[in-house]
Amino acid sequence: MEYVNPLTGFRIDGRRPNEMRQIKGELGVVANADGSALFEMGNTRVIVAVYGPREVQNKSQQSNNQALVRCEYSMANFSTGDRTRRQKGDRRSTEISLVIRQTMEASILTHLMPRSEIDIFVQVLQADGGTRSACINAATLALADAGIPMRDIVTSCSAGYLCSTPLLDLNYVEDSAGGPDVTVGILSKMDKVTLLQMDAKLPMDIFENVMQLAIEGCKAIANYIREVLLENTKQLESRRGG
Amino acid sequence: MATSARGGGEGEAAAGGGGGGGAAAEMEVEAYRRLFPVAYFERHLRESVRLDARPLASPRDTSVALGLVGSADGSALVKFGDTTMVAAIKLEVMTPPAESSDEGSVAVEFYMPPICSPTVRPGRSAEVAPVISKQLSDVIMSSGMINLKDLCLINGKASWIAYLDIYCLNADGSLFDAALVSTVAAFTHLEIPLVSVSDDGRVVTVPGELEGKTKLPLVNKDKRKLMLNNVPFSLTCGLHKEHILVDPTAEEESIIETFVTVVLDTLGRVVSVYKPGGSVLAYTSILKECITLAKRRAQQLRNILNESVSAMEVDKSS
Repeated sequence: MEYVNPLTGFRIDGRRPNEMRQIKGELGVVANADGSALFEMGNTRVIVAVYGPREVQNKSQQSNNQALVRCEYSMANFSTGDRTRRQKGDRRSTEISLVIRQTMEASILTHLMPRSEIDIFVQVLQADGGTRSACINAATLALADAGIPMRDIVTSCSAGYLCSTPLLDLNYVEDSAGGPDVTVGILSKMDKVTLLQMDAKLPMDIFENVMQLAIEGCKAIANYIREVLLENTKQLESRRGG
Repeated sequence: MATSARGGGEGEAAAGGGGGGGAAAEMEVEAYRRLFPVAYFERHLRESVRLDARPLASPRDTSVALGLVGSADGSALVKFGDTTMVAAIKLEVMTPPAESSDEGSVAVEFYMPPICSPTVRPGRSAEVAPVISKQLSDVIMSSGMINLKDLCLINGKASWIAYLDIYCLNADGSLFDAALVSTVAAFTHLEIPLVSVSDDGRVVTVPGELEGKTKLPLVNKDKRKLMLNNVPFSLTCGLHKEHILVDPTAEEESIIETFVTVVLDTLGRVVSVYKPGGSVLAYTSILKECITLAKRRAQQLRNILNESVSAMEVDKSS
């Protein structure tokens, strides 16, 4: 199948190889939560709600010098093309929950909130590739909405390599093509990589190119997220009449 | 204590500039609200307002949006104030059982994921979720909203099973009412995919673009939308002492112990009444009052639903 048209260079959804899908972020979508955000990357739509810092549910896990970060990832039954009845604790969900937790934990200043717990709940409403990245981006926004102190904005983006071209931000069709899929998560200002996942085989020099492409995608998302947060703060300021 | 009679925590933000006592008075009101919730609540009831300054018989702002989930065959987003529900229907082909060979089936499931409320913890799903699932499937069946025969494709061989999944994204009271409206809205938006039978007898869905081009016979070319008769609408009222409060929020639900849910259909007939215990007894007068309020609310919801359907049709044609 022609993932990249050899004549025009367009991908199957009409994007260029280094073009990301349309992104959209919105804060404060779940009124009950301390912080929440909706993040869309193309057709992938994810809601994250953050509760915390609050009392630790399981006292045996409580830590005296830092906050406990928990994450639960779940996909709605109608989120993918075929309706699948997903078990709560299935392997993929557990793995992604772990990945998101560790990525966010690297950025949250947990030592400022000892003996407390921060819960990050992720709900995928529509999945069209890049769900992991969308979840991390949404989690960053939600944590910021909850006012939880962080070292830096964490953003994530995926990239792949099909038809001898590095492609940025794979959608579901490109992802299931069987080519390599590199997901990168960075701390934008500090320019540090906190998450790197890849499956399938890639020669070293091509891997570097693909990873570099993903990092640029992350930086672009970080700029967008910064704008969203700035806009949100301005609105809060004007509502307070300050 | 004058600020508390104004009703609702939201008013206090504006009181920030109101003199030196402003900040201290704000703390007192918030503390009073947490420490003595029943007394705080009853103070409001005496002035015939509720915690968010609504009159007793007034429901919250309701909005319905159709077609939110692109990957589903029918979907809807419903908001009652802050309570948010997303409902989506996915149709799959199944072989009907022998005793109902000309009928399809509907499977309803209601989920309360941990994002919806600080009280829902992961690992332990909310207690009310399966209760509402059951209530919803009972109401759908008993109101006769869907004729299961409409879901039949080929008698005895293939019929549709409609999987309806409702996710509560924010739980702020009146969960059953919002879930029912989202169910009705999702079924109104539902568009049954085209199918045809392949050579080996399998039923295969035909995506829209290939409509004119497929060689196989299209089985249900003209039956793309479900006919909904007797659409049910519900209203939950909280009963506290002698007051009846329409459309309670989560804070009110934690204080009130008695609730009555009335479900009516398009002809104004009572489909179901649900009053699961509680200290206030259900005299005929109270029930009649609830039914009258439910009628008014049903009309309101019908209008909102019709508006969103016509809005969607405008979007489609433009």
